Amino acid sequence: MKIVVCVKEVGLLGDEVEFEGNRVDPDFLDRALNEWDAYAIEAALQLREAVGGEVVAVTVGDEDTEGVLRRALAMGADRAARIEGELDFDALAPARALAPVVAEEAPDLVICGAQSSDAANAATPAALAALLDAPCVAVVRSLTVAGGHLVAHRELEGGVVDVVEVDLPAVISVQTGANTPRYAALRAIRQAEEIDIPTHALAEHDPPTRVIALRLPGHAGTTILLEGDSAEIARQIAALVKERVG
Amino acid sequence: MTETRATFAQMGTAERALWYGLAALSLVVFIWGCIRLVHKYRAGRKVERRPSVGLAATIRIVLSHSWIRRRATVSGLAHLAVFYGFLVLFAGTTILAVQDDVAKPLFGFDFWRGSFYLGYSLFLDVFGLALVVGLLVLAGRRGVERLPRLIAGRADGRPRRGNAIEDWVFLGALLYLGATGFLLEGLRDAEGAPSFEKWAPAGWLLGRGLHDAGMAPHTAEVIHHVLWWGHGLAALAFVSAIPFTKGLHMLAGPAGVLTRETVAGKQLALDPIGYATMRDFAPAHLLQLDACTRCGKCHEACPATNGGMPLSPRDLVLDLASGALQLLETGDILVGGMIDQDTLWSCTQCMACVEVCPVGIEHVPIINELRRGSVARGDMDTRLQSALETIYTAGNSFGESRRKRGRWAKELPFEVKDIRTEPAEVLWFVGDYASFDPRNKRATQAFAHLLAGAGVDFGILYDAEVNAGCDVRRVGEEGLYTELVERNLKALSACEFDRIVTTDPHSFHTLRNEYPQFGGNWRIDHHSELILELLRSGAIVPCRTLPARVTYHDPCKLGRYNGVFDAPREVIAAVGAELVEMPRSRNNSFCCGAGGGRIWMSDTARPGARRPAELRIDEAVALGALDYFVVACPKDVTMYEDAIKTSGHARRIELIELSELVLESLAPVDSQA
Amino acid sequence: MRVLVVAEHRAGELRPVTLEAIGAGTQLGEVDVLVVGPDALAQAVNVQGVSEIVAVAAGTEFDPDLLRRVVSEVAEERSIDVVLLGNTVDAMSYAAAVAIDGGRGFVSDVFALKPGLVATRSVYAGKVDAEVAIDGHAVVLIRPGAFEPATGAGSATLTSRIETRAARVRHLETIQPDDGGLDLAQQRFLLAIGRGIGEESNVELFTELANSMGATLASSRPLVDSGWMPSSRLVGQSGATVKPAVYLAFGISGAIQHLAGMKASETIIAVNHDPEASIFNLAHFGAVADIFDVAEELAKLY
Repeated sequence: MKIVVCVKEVGLLGDEVEFEGNRVDPDFLDRALNEWDAYAIEAALQLREAVGGEVVAVTVGDEDTEGVLRRALAMGADRAARIEGELDFDALAPARALAPVVAEEAPDLVICGAQSSDAANAATPAALAALLDAPCVAVVRSLTVAGGHLVAHRELEGGVVDVVEVDLPAVISVQTGANTPRYAALRAIRQAEEIDIPTHALAEHDPPTRVIALRLPGHAGTTILLEGDSAEIARQIAALVKERVG
Repeated sequence: MTETRATFAQMGTAERALWYGLAALSLVVFIWGCIRLVHKYRAGRKVERRPSVGLAATIRIVLSHSWIRRRATVSGLAHLAVFYGFLVLFAGTTILAVQDDVAKPLFGFDFWRGSFYLGYSLFLDVFGLALVVGLLVLAGRRGVERLPRLIAGRADGRPRRGNAIEDWVFLGALLYLGATGFLLEGLRDAEGAPSFEKWAPAGWLLGRGLHDAGMAPHTAEVIHHVLWWGHGLAALAFVSAIPFTKGLHMLAGPAGVLTRETVAGKQLALDPIGYATMRDFAPAHLLQLDACTRCGKCHEACPATNGGMPLSPRDLVLDLASGALQLLETGDILVGGMIDQDTLWSCTQCMACVEVCPVGIEHVPIINELRRGSVARGDMDTRLQSALETIYTAGNSFGESRRKRGRWAKELPFEVKDIRTEPAEVLWFVGDYASFDPRNKRATQAFAHLLAGAGVDFGILYDAEVNAGCDVRRVGEEGLYTELVERNLKALSACEFDRIVTTDPHSFHTLRNEYPQFGGNWRIDHHSELILELLRSGAIVPCRTLPARVTYHDPCKLGRYNGVFDAPREVIAAVGAELVEMPRSRNNSFCCGAGGGRIWMSDTARPGARRPAELRIDEAVALGALDYFVVACPKDVTMYEDAIKTSGHARRIELIELSELVLESLAPVDSQA
Repeated sequence: MRVLVVAEHRAGELRPVTLEAIGAGTQLGEVDVLVVGPDALAQAVNVQGVSEIVAVAAGTEFDPDLLRRVVSEVAEERSIDVVLLGNTVDAMSYAAAVAIDGGRGFVSDVFALKPGLVATRSVYAGKVDAEVAIDGHAVVLIRPGAFEPATGAGSATLTSRIETRAARVRHLETIQPDDGGLDLAQQRFLLAIGRGIGEESNVELFTELANSMGATLASSRPLVDSGWMPSSRLVGQSGATVKPAVYLAFGISGAIQHLAGMKASETIIAVNHDPEASIFNLAHFGAVADIFDVAEELAKLY
């Protein structure tokens, strides 16, 4: 079966941030593969190991983001492709950018991470499914393929699991902890540098949402800081516990 | 009467022919065994080896037994006696063969007579005695003292029986040969021998004893004949068994010394593939596995072994050696099969094993190559995987943003130069732990105070510095290591400075010894050396001598790896502290357990075992009342602060980093007495 | 502004976030509610502020395909400006599809809404708040617990619809979590640990501390994902929702999913070495310190 995995290079914020207009100053961001996407790639590879087929990794971004594709290739993906373009935080933009390229691949299954750690919209899987006219099952923690369908375990709030059967082709999104992503040795990643990654143009869209302001979160009430050395802090905690638990 | 004796006396032509026939057979078996071994070694993978110890040095080392005697004086001297005893007796037999089979029949040259004969007899008797005495001492170490290092186990801690039997048989065989040699002399003399045979005193005394005990000359003759064959057959069997038994160490040992790279373990090879199967091993490493004499000195020295972890370098080598032939044939993957994951990853790459091994085995490079093979397959501890991914993304093992690296400098009351934008004399390569770890930041800031106070023109790389990669390399992620080296070289090349200084021995080691493999080549010193320079030039003046009784822990990467032992000690002396050495110091220092990437990995020790760092604190506390446990490495700071707490000695000893110690000696004494 | 709230139910019960969505919707304009499920649910959403209830009879199972189609059609027919629902696992399977179908803007995990339409949400793992303006029609997913629920009896009109199921997604079974008999929600004192504990061997340290303090041990997601803690101890969106008298957190950064599970706690005490950890925004008491040092000192007191 052919599986397309959609991956994203996200920006990681440390403990300092400065804003540049309506976005975070890139100087304050470290870039890395989205945490959820590592589980998505691993899920795709495990499926391929079980039923055979091809795994294609796709991303939207500039040339620097090819690193995440090379990581996917080093983990064992067969091919990769990139859609050239810079996306803002509009929730539907990634799906709109991915759809033409994914449609051309005509996969049996599309796997995404449940969300990205920076934009955190969790929209791409369902939006992409709509554009491909496929069913979508989100936040999956295990999946198997049998006889043309996919059986997925949806992880609901409170730890309840909803087991569903989905017709292929379908789009699913994977939750963290679904598997243990294999290590991609740097050597394999560097060797992946030799592999040609075709680039596609980004279809232009007018995003229906705009970020108009960014700010640091306010405090929900005031936090009282416990001061002193560890022994002092421990004493204060013990006192609070005694008072409030009884 | 000319002083000589007839060889093969009382032996008919048929017997002599049988003897020569068997001797030839023994030689053929021996040669065949050696050829088989050469084939085995050649089944490995040819790799480019760096310069080795060299022939001249090997001869010196073997003849003086300097490596064998290191930290094992009694066994070393006993083995020296056995070695020379065996050599002389072997040479003696060869001389006799030359005389009998070549010189006399072919050239009519008969030298085995007269003074030569007397000297020969005496010489052989003395060395024969040395052989027997040496063997008895070694047997005592093994059988009476029962030294733990001589009791071989398996790498994962299970017991190993087969080797113990072989060890005793080998020892027994040599003793048998020595004893029967003397007995033969004695029997010969009991048959009735000329008085010049006194020149073989042991035999002469033995002969007298037998005679006095009432042995008739004729009886002696019969026994002599039988025992001659008993001795001779045993000798021939011994020789032909050499390539197949422990006897091999007599050849493989010196060969191991000869093949030991001078940079073994210190500068790791640029081999990206690593060892997945036995077929990937370099021929030299296959040879070295056979050189193991099961002396157990590496086992004794290893922090993992002492710390209750499932790794003993001796047992790992023996496991590999015993399985080599079969594994070369099957091509089975070693790690996860014959070698446990936990065994492989328990190594701290401290080099204590390599340093003490008398036969030149390169345990650390072998383990490193096995790790490379494992990493390439993605086969590793999940915590380690996570640490490596973090280093790849963030450039440091703490997962902190790049901008946070220079944060410690911003907290100082003076400015620390950004060497990316301004030239400076000294480039201070700080390192991860020294930059990010809260406890270590105090030591880092102390050193900065020292430099600033001494007016040193220095700067740091701030965000541009990434993990130097020493432990990444030691963990076997050569690809990531190369990546880190490239990033650091790029940053360093863009700066203007005269020399590099670092407070971190791991960074120090790899920058100095391994970065040149990639093009970087600067003068690089450890901060203890710079501090010493400043003390000597008067740039730093201790204004009080510290009335402190301290001990100093030699960091592996600074001491054993790079030979820097004296600078930190001289610094300690210069501030007036009294240094008390721990039993294991200098190149015999006992590793804290953090190296080899272990600080990033899960615990493999059996429950309840005392960790290496705790054992080290025990060792320090046993010296009596101490004010400070002095360290010169950020990982030591972390490991020993922890160990002091968990070992239960928190009230008895305090840790201090070298810079902090010096800084304290600059502080004005409190007027409050 | 015309608002359509999509009701969410589980095992036949209406989920509280639906009432919160209705509450939020009434601030924007006229609210209709769409219920796709058992008939009884229609009555449950008949609260103050609701104009009309559209009921589509269906079973208790979740069918994202059916929901997508019905929501899109109803929203189109009624010229809905804002489709409003909870930011839940169910919604993630179809809500964005509705946005694509109707050419609508999409915003999720919204915790503040202003007419206009301006939504406030969290980005960068909760470290930054973003205000997003939506031009034109929208699909908005609200963060559970962020808006006041609508209450009181309503007088909405009821319309029924018949829909045939597309059935590309079929329910097979529901597996209840194995809580090992442990009900975290019933505990008065929870001691929770997160990624900050470093390695698995440190779990024991905190287990012992919890025991000596009389607390029940709980965990954030990363430790459960790594297999260091059983899922029965998970507090958060995918685990238990708790409101103990005291929630003492060690090494927990404060990911939104975790906060969702414990923010209602009466007293939250957070210990973390990172002064910028998001949990400090929520905690009543905070200590920026080494969690192991504090744990050790606490252990001495018990």
